[in-house]
Amino acid sequence: MTVNLTLNGEIRTFFGDPRTSLLDVLRETFRLTGTKPVCREGFCGACVVHIDGLAVPSCLRPIGLLQGASVTTIEGLAQVDALNALQLAFKDQDVVQCGMCFPGMVMTLSKFQETNPTPSRAEIKAAMIGNICRCTGYERIVDAVLSMQSRENAQ
Amino acid sequence: MAQTVSEALEVLSDQDAGAVIVAGATWVMRAQVRHAPIPRMFVALSNIPELGFIEINRLEISIGSLVTHDVLSKALLNLPALRALRQAAACSANPGVRQIATIGGNICAEDFAAADLVAAALCLDATVELHRTNGTQTVALADYLELRTHRRTAEILTRIIIPMSDKCSAHARLTMRKAGDYPVVIVSVSAARCSDNTLRDVRIAVGSVEATARRWTSLESALEGQLLDPAAIQSLAATHIADFTPREAAGAPGWYRIQVLPYVLHSACVDLRGQLEGNVA
Repeated sequence: MTVNLTLNGEIRTFFGDPRTSLLDVLRETFRLTGTKPVCREGFCGACVVHIDGLAVPSCLRPIGLLQGASVTTIEGLAQVDALNALQLAFKDQDVVQCGMCFPGMVMTLSKFQETNPTPSRAEIKAAMIGNICRCTGYERIVDAVLSMQSRENAQ
Repeated sequence: MAQTVSEALEVLSDQDAGAVIVAGATWVMRAQVRHAPIPRMFVALSNIPELGFIEINRLEISIGSLVTHDVLSKALLNLPALRALRQAAACSANPGVRQIATIGGNICAEDFAAADLVAAALCLDATVELHRTNGTQTVALADYLELRTHRRTAEILTRIIIPMSDKCSAHARLTMRKAGDYPVVIVSVSAARCSDNTLRDVRIAVGSVEATARRWTSLESALEGQLLDPAAIQSLAATHIADFTPREAAGAPGWYRIQVLPYVLHSACVDLRGQLEGNVA
């Protein structure tokens, strides 16, 4: 089967088994390895990407359902060699530990911030419930998201 | 990618094709994790727009089988009688999965014991609309669940219909961890209160304890005409616990599921009492 989709702003074509997960297509066909394979059942959030404006686990999306879809991965979230505001906050707050969960964290929280730009601590935690950090660094991640508000308020 | 229900039924009717219906695909894509084979062919329904609608009128709510948990939880915000279904849709899995998992998939995934929406829909007296090549049939959700593993005819569940009522409802679940886990017990309750403060039309649905969610009819009967006292109901539930043959599965052993079931029921009843007393928005 042939599937055409927009991937990080470029039209790309996949040829192969339509039952293949988007996660595997991203990593093995398009070599976009920022999207991480961990639990492969939608629990851990390490493979979250944006599909047509929604932050969803790519392990649960068969590529055959994505004809014409627009997909953004961690590699396409900001300009090349640049960080978006959330990534910058993570860097400034020295949040990143092993790094395995972080692409998914960034994809989930950046989409969440679009609908809730000034979330409370509890709302951030609720938004992160599908993103598991094995280093258990959650509180500093929440601090980093909150720091963006104080930075904006200061400006 | 089927464009119509009839087209999807045509493919399903070809027994040699080994095809399965796919809605959100969140269950079938986990087949390998469950050490189950991946079906040879997916018949995707996502290009059939009429399956994605929610219609609400004075008598009932009709939910297309492709409506996602996320969309459903937002659509039910101003319908207090359907609170159990809204709570179930808003707390299942995690935000990412709720964007793609559908109510039809939750009901039709016959080996998924921990489906939140099934218990909630059961306690709200839901019926389901089934399309077959020879016509359409509407059956009670409870009857559909009982027979779904034995069905051999090609059919597609297209709508879930829930009657509007003056009852209140609540949904409670217990997971072993806050995230990344299936609930070990799910309880949905609905009831109305008479002028003398006693309960009537009690419905209790239990999920995840057995392989398929079902009503707890003996306890429902015992609660008719009783006061809504969560502690007393919890104690009464313990005396009816032998009604269940709990499943042994990853996450929790069977004995644990029935041990905690009365406590989860207690949580749902506390919520229900708050609504009936006007303390819950």
